[in-house]
Amino acid sequence: MAGLTRTAGAFAVTPHKISVCILLQIYSPSAQMSLPFPFSSVSQHNRLGLYLLSLTKSCDDIFEPKLEELINQLREVGEDMDAWLTDHLTNRFSSLSSPDDLLNFFNDMRGILGSLDSGVVQDDQIILDPNSNLGMFVRRCILAFNLLSFEGVCHLFSSIEVYFKEAHSSSDQYDAAINNSESLTHYDQMDMENYVMNKANEEIELQKNASGSVPFHLHTPEALFKVTEGLLVTRKEKSRTSKKNTEATPVAYASSSTHEDTLVDKSLFLRTNLQIQGFLMEQADAIETHGSSFSSSSIESFLEQLQNLAPELHRVHFLRYLNKLHSDDYFAALDNLLRYFDYSAGTEGFDLVPPSTGCSMYGRYEIALLCLGMMHFRFGHPNLALEVLTEAVRVSQQLSNDTCLAYTLAAMSNLLSEMGIASTTSVLGSSYTPVTSTASSLSVQQRVYILLKESLRRADSLKLRRLVASNHLAMAKFELMHVQRPLLSFGPKASTRRKTCPVSVCKEIRLGAHLISDFSSESSTMTVDGSLSSAWLKDLQKPWGPPVLSQNSGSRKSSTFFHFCDHLVSVPGSVSQLIGASYLLRATSWELYGSAPMARMNTLVYATLFGDSSSSSDAELAYLKLIQHLALYNGYKDAFAALKIAEEKFLTISKSKILLLKLQLLHEHALHRGNLKLAQRMCNELGGLASTTMGVDMELKVEARLREARTLLAAKQYSQAANVAHSLFCTCHKFNLQIEKASVLLLLAEIHKKSGNAVLGLPYALASISFCQSFNLDLLKASSTLTLAELWLGLGSNHAKRALDLLHGAFPMILGHGGLELRARAYIFEANCYLSDPSFSVSTDSDTVLDSLRQASDELQALEYHELAAEASYLMAMVYDKLGQLEEREEAAALFKKHIIALENPQDVEANMA
Amino acid sequence: MVSKESCRNEIRAAIRQLSDRCLYSAAKWAGEQLVGIEQDPSNFTPSNTRFQRGSSSIRRRFSTNESISTPQPSVGFSQAATPFPEEDEVIDGDLYLLAKSYFDCREYRRASHVLRDQMSKKSVFLRCYALYLAGEKRKEEEMIELEGPLGKSDAVNRELVSLERELSALKRTGAIDSFGLYLYGVVLKEKGNESLARASLVESVNSYPWNWSAWSELQSLCTSIEILNSLNLSNHWMKDFFLANAYQELRMHSESLAKYDYLQGIFSFSNYIQAQTAKAQYSLREFDQVEIMFEELLRNDPYRVEDMDLYSNVLYAKEACAALSYLAHKVFLTDKYRPESCCIIGNYYSLKGQHEKAVMYFRRALKLNKKYLSAWTLMGHEYVEMKNTPAAIDAYRRAVDINPCDYRAWYGLGQAYEMMGMPFYALHYFRKSIFFLPNDSRLWIAMAKCYQTEQLYMLEEAIKCYKRAVNCTDTEGIALNQLAKLHQKLGRNEEAAFYFEKDLERMDAEGLEGPNMFEALVFLATHFKTHKKFEEAEVYCTRLLDYSGPEKEKAKSLLRGIRMAQTGFPSMDVEHFPL
Repeated sequence: MAGLTRTAGAFAVTPHKISVCILLQIYSPSAQMSLPFPFSSVSQHNRLGLYLLSLTKSCDDIFEPKLEELINQLREVGEDMDAWLTDHLTNRFSSLSSPDDLLNFFNDMRGILGSLDSGVVQDDQIILDPNSNLGMFVRRCILAFNLLSFEGVCHLFSSIEVYFKEAHSSSDQYDAAINNSESLTHYDQMDMENYVMNKANEEIELQKNASGSVPFHLHTPEALFKVTEGLLVTRKEKSRTSKKNTEATPVAYASSSTHEDTLVDKSLFLRTNLQIQGFLMEQADAIETHGSSFSSSSIESFLEQLQNLAPELHRVHFLRYLNKLHSDDYFAALDNLLRYFDYSAGTEGFDLVPPSTGCSMYGRYEIALLCLGMMHFRFGHPNLALEVLTEAVRVSQQLSNDTCLAYTLAAMSNLLSEMGIASTTSVLGSSYTPVTSTASSLSVQQRVYILLKESLRRADSLKLRRLVASNHLAMAKFELMHVQRPLLSFGPKASTRRKTCPVSVCKEIRLGAHLISDFSSESSTMTVDGSLSSAWLKDLQKPWGPPVLSQNSGSRKSSTFFHFCDHLVSVPGSVSQLIGASYLLRATSWELYGSAPMARMNTLVYATLFGDSSSSSDAELAYLKLIQHLALYNGYKDAFAALKIAEEKFLTISKSKILLLKLQLLHEHALHRGNLKLAQRMCNELGGLASTTMGVDMELKVEARLREARTLLAAKQYSQAANVAHSLFCTCHKFNLQIEKASVLLLLAEIHKKSGNAVLGLPYALASISFCQSFNLDLLKASSTLTLAELWLGLGSNHAKRALDLLHGAFPMILGHGGLELRARAYIFEANCYLSDPSFSVSTDSDTVLDSLRQASDELQALEYHELAAEASYLMAMVYDKLGQLEEREEAAALFKKHIIALENPQDVEANMA
Repeated sequence: MVSKESCRNEIRAAIRQLSDRCLYSAAKWAGEQLVGIEQDPSNFTPSNTRFQRGSSSIRRRFSTNESISTPQPSVGFSQAATPFPEEDEVIDGDLYLLAKSYFDCREYRRASHVLRDQMSKKSVFLRCYALYLAGEKRKEEEMIELEGPLGKSDAVNRELVSLERELSALKRTGAIDSFGLYLYGVVLKEKGNESLARASLVESVNSYPWNWSAWSELQSLCTSIEILNSLNLSNHWMKDFFLANAYQELRMHSESLAKYDYLQGIFSFSNYIQAQTAKAQYSLREFDQVEIMFEELLRNDPYRVEDMDLYSNVLYAKEACAALSYLAHKVFLTDKYRPESCCIIGNYYSLKGQHEKAVMYFRRALKLNKKYLSAWTLMGHEYVEMKNTPAAIDAYRRAVDINPCDYRAWYGLGQAYEMMGMPFYALHYFRKSIFFLPNDSRLWIAMAKCYQTEQLYMLEEAIKCYKRAVNCTDTEGIALNQLAKLHQKLGRNEEAAFYFEKDLERMDAEGLEGPNMFEALVFLATHFKTHKKFEEAEVYCTRLLDYSGPEKEKAKSLLRGIRMAQTGFPSMDVEHFPL
């Protein structure tokens, strides 16, 4: 670590900075120099000044532009005097023919600084204030140059030659491209030159470039040889690197070719620690947002290089860990994580550690434990993760690292709530910790609650706003899923509420979202100065006309609003991610509470505003929700079309949920069309997706079983379906999946209804309703009510009235928020009720029935739900028959026939799906 | 078996050729082997006998218990295939002589310049070799000059590209000799093209087997037994040296020892073989034997520094302070700026308990050779002693990154984390170290202790580890005792009795006494008494009576209880509750 602290924030002279200096000389020529003043107007002068300002601001960026890029930018800025500017720049470079010239150059630079006490200022002279931004830059350059040793100057000189030479050949190319007339000859010269250069290298022979003059030869007298030995080396280096570039270009990754070029930049090691740290942070963000679609091998090769250059920069290992984590390489991830913490002792780069308390003697290995725990969590080893996190709690308590403790508790509660851990006593009971041991007698939910509360309290007192926000969100999630019971109940009076509380969910979400106005007060110890300063340059370039914009438009993000926000107030990525998460949570909660439009709206907000800054898995979730919505409300055609788009975008992500969604949709579709074989296959595939470990992927497992039961139900194997549903209910109970319990109960009621055992079905339907009530699942409740009503009707036509009343009670919810299927079912059932009601006469009141039936058959058309559609047409035909409208009757009958035939011969849907 | 005489002649010619090409370390090695061959009694000279006197005694001492292994068929020499080094053209060009003297004065660039137009294979080789070394020298300098803020720079040997180009062109036209192939292999290795480098080196050693430098380069490229077996090497006695060395690096110590044993048939007095044998024995933890071997070695070759760090480790382990001090002072006077010397001095200070000074010397050793594995590990140990855990972890981790098979460093990492109260985290490292050395009871015991800590308290796992330790012949006898105690703690008295009995047997065999013995005796006596096996109980009680102290009283009361029970009275004593 000694290497890190030694020169943190060092400012090194680089060729790029020298070109900035040359431009500065033009901007404010010193009195002694006889440079012509090239500016035709003040605005032109100012424009160059602004450009220079942005250049100096961005000189802390990790990648410095090459001369070629700089010249291109100058073209945009300089308008009509660009030729003059570039000429001057290149001439100045080519006049630097020995290290001694560099010395003179920096001496000249001194001249453009106005002295502090010089009262006499000539009118026409532009004086650079030494304390201005530009002046400071010049002074820093001069100072840095003066500090250089002799070897340093030699190396700087050689890198200048590389810098200039590269640009020279490529700018020739540029010119050639523009002036078509000359192109051929130019290219010839180019090739010749390259050829000669390689040749020269082979013969260990020197040759000055086209503009240069004196050719050296190896067979020169010994003395001269000694002098030029330094030059010789740099020559070779230059030709080597240029060769490397030409080698690299054919392989170049389409998008990252510029990236790749700069990667081989040999002067990378000159960068300061902060710059590289900032750059690595950016890369880490990129890994997260792009998931494994991010080319992991390219970043790997880059990291390797960086490690070669800076073996003391341990953060590289962490990045490598992240990369491996996202490409699901367990062993490599583990290895790199451990290596990172062995080297850095957790004291490097974590902004959650306040620097003042850095007790370097002991290191911060508790953070290692925290990270290790989260890694195990991600790879699906809940018990290992819990064990590690318990140790983390213990160690952070020992070292009184409250920050880490707060994070660990949050991670632990997250783990407990995500992973279905039936009982923690087997794991936690063995290890002694104050926090967990107080909770050893409690259920998992209560433990999660306590952990969250503890974490929240600590985070609040430590002013860790992000953690506070994410804890609020976790709390909201908890409130959403669990009925609050007092932890210690005194007597029978204590347990009063038996419902979840939407208000508190809403409150928690709101508290979580406060972060956006709050985060600025948090003093982040780790500023990503590299990225911010480059953003600065980009912003400045924007108003300078379309050419620049169009050039950059490839890299621009699509959502313009937030992009602006991003730069103006510079919302850190983590903050916007958290806020995005709050929107997603909002969408989920509305989904559960049963408001389709609200859920859709929140998801849309998320997808438009946070889609770019979010992690890929979150973005995927948002897409998933939208597609599901489409399937429910617009039918399968649209959903499959949307799915195709999403697939292209997300399929490369590890643990992609897109596949899951596809299987779900196909299953649903197959069930509706009556293609049971296909449905069964989809079901099996779904089951295969889940991990075999107990307690992991519970959601997926429950989903697969639920669908299995439904397939069996559709195949009319009632007892088997009931068995599956029963065991599923037991699983849900064991792992405390309350909401799933409600839908399983509904399914059981459904099974009994279909099997004609209405009496058995009633209690299940009622139980489901009460579950829905206590969790505020309004839509599910409405559909349970519908089932209940159907069961009543199944008991006999004398219950038709009661059934109708129940249905009408649920109607507003169903029609307002229900999906196509639910609505159709409700309509058909309504018609059924009327028809079976003895007091209802078809001839007088036919429209009530026909209307609902027509509605139902319209909606079922989109859904391709043949069974229900057939029922609707049948009923319609019957009604028309009663009314004596024969034509319509025949029509309805034909429709009925069509659906029945389609149901009996399910075509292979996959043909057009795959 | 090859005749010693032909061997001798081969080596003599080879040394001339090697030193003529400035391959000095290979020549040095060959020279060592040359005098390692037993001389004919006919042409004895006093100097020869003086040199060989010492080592014969050690050979005598160990010849009795060494099994004479027969050479395997694959290794057997086929006399016909053995090439003989052709003598060079007698007269070197004048320019070559000049270049060689420049080279000897370490003016590499000058040497290569002198030979720029010479076309003979020998001159081409020397020119390229000089150029390569010049590049290496410049690289070292640049490393210091360009040292960036974040550590080392990316300095590379700038001659590699042109050398590779030239050598590959020569190879294509066939105008390359085995020395050129060796250099080509080195260049390729440096450029990271390992498979091609291997091929080139194999070609080189097949056509000219006496260049030990080529063999060692080849060995460093054999990172697994599969690679080693895939090499197509023609038979020669040099191949046995190579294989022995490679086996040793691949931790196949017994195979390696067998090879060395066989080679000693010809090179009976080779210091090299003796040192290598000692190294292998060290890995097998035969410290006494190793110490004797090194003593002999030092007697024959008192100014030897190579491998002496190993000797110092042995002395450290045996806590032979005086000998270590003597060794340290001797190597210090011989050559104090050798990494080995610094390491020995570090060991010396460590044994003296002056850990700061020890760290300083290990640091110096590392400054001289950044990849000096054992110095990193030893430094880690020192930091552990100084309770500076993060520094220790850093040092160990560097050792592991240099050689991931270094079980000591993995073990050290585990220990350091355990010290910080992170036993679960430490387990991973213990597992790693056990993976590389599954037969070491100490590692198993360390892991078991980790499981036993009050934070984890995973006793079942601890029991499993102790069982493994017992199977690996645990010399300190911790495992048996712990197994018994753990079973006792878990209430499995039958198992506990079994292990206590075993432990007792062990202690009897080694003639040990102590609290463990009392504990075992008391437990066994009580256990057998409660199970009504009075005879056994009595035996243990009477054994206890031999000792004084509270145990004796205990035994007396137990005996009383036994008598009572035997006479049929209902037992009323309180002692029969388990302890």
